[in-house]
Amino acid sequence: MTATFSKLKTHFTNWREWELNPIVIKELRQAVRSWAVTGMLLLFLTVLFITSLTFLVTQSFQVEANLQLGGAMFSAFMVILAGASVFFIPLYVGVRVAAERQENNPDLLYVSTLSPACIIRGKFLCGAYMALLFFSACMPFMAFTNLLRGVDLPTVFFILFYLFLVVCAANMIAIFFACLPMSRPFKILLVIYGLFQSFALLVPLVRVSFQLMSSGVGAMMSGRNFWVGTLTFVGIGMAITGLFFVLSVALISPPSANRALPVRIYLTAIWLLGGLLSFSWVVQTGMAPWMLAWTYPTFALMMFALLVTVSNSDQISLRVRRTIPKSGLKRALAFVLFNGAAGGLVWVATILVATFFLTWQILLAFPKSMIDSSASNWFVTTTAYAFAYALTALFIHRKFLSKRPPKLAGVIAVLLAGAWAIVPSIVLFFLNQLSWKSVEGLQLGNVFNVFSLRDDDQRLYHLYFAFGWLLLMILINAKWFVRQVKNFQPLNRTQSPPVINEISPAA
Amino acid sequence: MGFVPFTWPFTPALSPLLRRGAREKNFIFMKVQVKNLRKEFGKTVAVDNISFSFDSGHVFGFVGPNGAGKTTTMRIISTIEEPTSGDVMLNGISICEEPELARRVVGYVPDTLPAHADITVHEYLDFYARAYGLRGKKRTQAVEAIEEFTNVIGIREKHLKALSKGMKQRVSLGRALVYDPDVLVLDEPAAGLDPRARVELRELLMLLAERKKAILISSHILTELTEICNGVVIIERGKILETGTIDDVLKKSAPRRTVAVRLLDGHHHQNPQLLKELLQTPHVENARDVANEIHFELSGDESAACDILGGLISKKFKVIEFRQTKTNLEDIFMNVTKGGVQ
Repeated sequence: MTATFSKLKTHFTNWREWELNPIVIKELRQAVRSWAVTGMLLLFLTVLFITSLTFLVTQSFQVEANLQLGGAMFSAFMVILAGASVFFIPLYVGVRVAAERQENNPDLLYVSTLSPACIIRGKFLCGAYMALLFFSACMPFMAFTNLLRGVDLPTVFFILFYLFLVVCAANMIAIFFACLPMSRPFKILLVIYGLFQSFALLVPLVRVSFQLMSSGVGAMMSGRNFWVGTLTFVGIGMAITGLFFVLSVALISPPSANRALPVRIYLTAIWLLGGLLSFSWVVQTGMAPWMLAWTYPTFALMMFALLVTVSNSDQISLRVRRTIPKSGLKRALAFVLFNGAAGGLVWVATILVATFFLTWQILLAFPKSMIDSSASNWFVTTTAYAFAYALTALFIHRKFLSKRPPKLAGVIAVLLAGAWAIVPSIVLFFLNQLSWKSVEGLQLGNVFNVFSLRDDDQRLYHLYFAFGWLLLMILINAKWFVRQVKNFQPLNRTQSPPVINEISPAA
Repeated sequence: MGFVPFTWPFTPALSPLLRRGAREKNFIFMKVQVKNLRKEFGKTVAVDNISFSFDSGHVFGFVGPNGAGKTTTMRIISTIEEPTSGDVMLNGISICEEPELARRVVGYVPDTLPAHADITVHEYLDFYARAYGLRGKKRTQAVEAIEEFTNVIGIREKHLKALSKGMKQRVSLGRALVYDPDVLVLDEPAAGLDPRARVELRELLMLLAERKKAILISSHILTELTEICNGVVIIERGKILETGTIDDVLKKSAPRRTVAVRLLDGHHHQNPQLLKELLQTPHVENARDVANEIHFELSGDESAACDILGGLISKKFKVIEFRQTKTNLEDIFMNVTKGGVQ
């Protein structure tokens, strides 16, 4: 604590030596020289200029004054700005990261003394600065609309702020996709998918902006709901951006680094904050279902986390072992949060069980809330199936494919769930004279079947089956799990590293 | 390349851990120990349990056919790859346990050239100086000094992509040197360079060795390595075939020295007589006439050669030249390697 404080003190007293993140400087220098950025900026300004000219010339032919001219012009500028910044900036930033981050030829900046977090922060900040550049280029045009009628200044600034946050989040997601260890064709497919997603994002974005314009932000600012909504939006936006940030950092960190630690800590923190936020909404509104706004995203996130967790290696690198605490309690916590499939399974299970338990308790505590027992059944059954698939995949990988990379366990888990859903259905389709009717019946082991069933008894069979299977897999994997716990020990040096003092004859 | 004497403007702010090497004037004595290094890529064993060491002021050649595991080993030493087993210690610092710390003292020149888009040479070097923590005036001085040292001042405002291969190679070397690392790992730095650039590179490396850098260099141009290296490692199929100082390896691989004797012009008619005489002399084997010169293999040491020369002169042979033909690294390389890859 004292060391951290003195480090911070030194940092702030030496403020004259502060320098920008080297990546930001490099990226911005490259952006300035890039024909793509310059060309896009010029095109952007030209379109803005022509648009404003068109509006003004058209207006000059009308006899009556248009009281909504400012609003109409602002809407047009907003669409142009949103289109340019949501499509172009994430695309540019993502492509630049992907170009430097090739699997067969890792760029040396990734092996400099810059930390992975510093690199990702630099890339992200570069995108933010570029967004600021585009926004500031658009600002005079938008401010001009305020001189006409139809839009108030707070609305202009609020919409720009709101759009800026969306662009930053889109940048971070683009960086994450660029960091994924994929070959170039897959990355190109991802870019195409990303462009479609940007378009899908653009439509609601513009719609919300129009709503804000028609209501006028200035008029809403005195209301409590406006600020609560704004803060919730900002909070969710920052949480998503932060999540993709830690994921990107983990992706570019070397395999021997403790990649899981920041991700698990971050997810646990936003899980706790999200839970508290939902609970405060429940208390304020008296409506317990607000808790589900926390439960469902947690469930979805943990399903992804489970897949990543089973893809972790059993071997803990020397780097990680060096940081394992000696004290028992701290080591237990480290086991759950550090690299490793066994600890990761405990972490996912703890969060899911706690989420389910807390949600259930809060729903029970508010008698007015409608408790859907089928939803809880669905939640528990799906979780049990997910763990059963994951543990089966771990067992298969360990027993039959132990020489293959650990990420294969995650692939096996997905294939297992997919195969169990598809193969019996196809067999039944042919056995029942090309009829899909039997597919709608009970199929134990098929997690997707849980959603299509309407009979509660059949859902219960699924629950029993899933728990039976899970129990079996826990027993089968118990020995491995105990071994992982025992192996999670700090590095015990038998001797200290040699101290080299002799000077060679040549020296 | 014009070499301008300059004092290195920057010493990286390393932790005391790294400073445990003995301090000698302006350098830190570095010992690089490669210990039982092994790297597997799936079923392929790229590096198979190799061990060697080199230290400050030494240029160590790393030789082997394509696919022998040289680049993998160099990437491991430079903390780019992680070994499957084994370790590399830099003054006792493990690259597996503390790669961030090790990275501060290793400068790596890869076999691929810098290919960043939309960036000039100066900006590129400036970026890496920033990335390695150089601040303010120190950084400006370091970048300028390195531009001068690698002779890229004239092209500092050119875009990287517009440079020739040789120029890019200089920039790459400048990048590796800009933060003044104590260990240099150079992977095929002479590949694709013209003869002048090669000579300049050789001189530059010798200068760096004088500055007490520990240098590991791989090259296919073995004659050059013989001239600049103190030691050599010959590797094939991931395994070390020969290692040691150049002289040791030469002696070990070619225990018999070949000697050439030439008589004064106009006395070549004495050659058959000389041949006969030599064949009767102890320690001499395989004597033959090669283009008016008599070549023979000497199994004895230098005093035996001296006795032979004295004997020939006393027997009135008009000897104008008596020299030992050197076995070079290329000969040894061809002898010890089989050209196999993993």
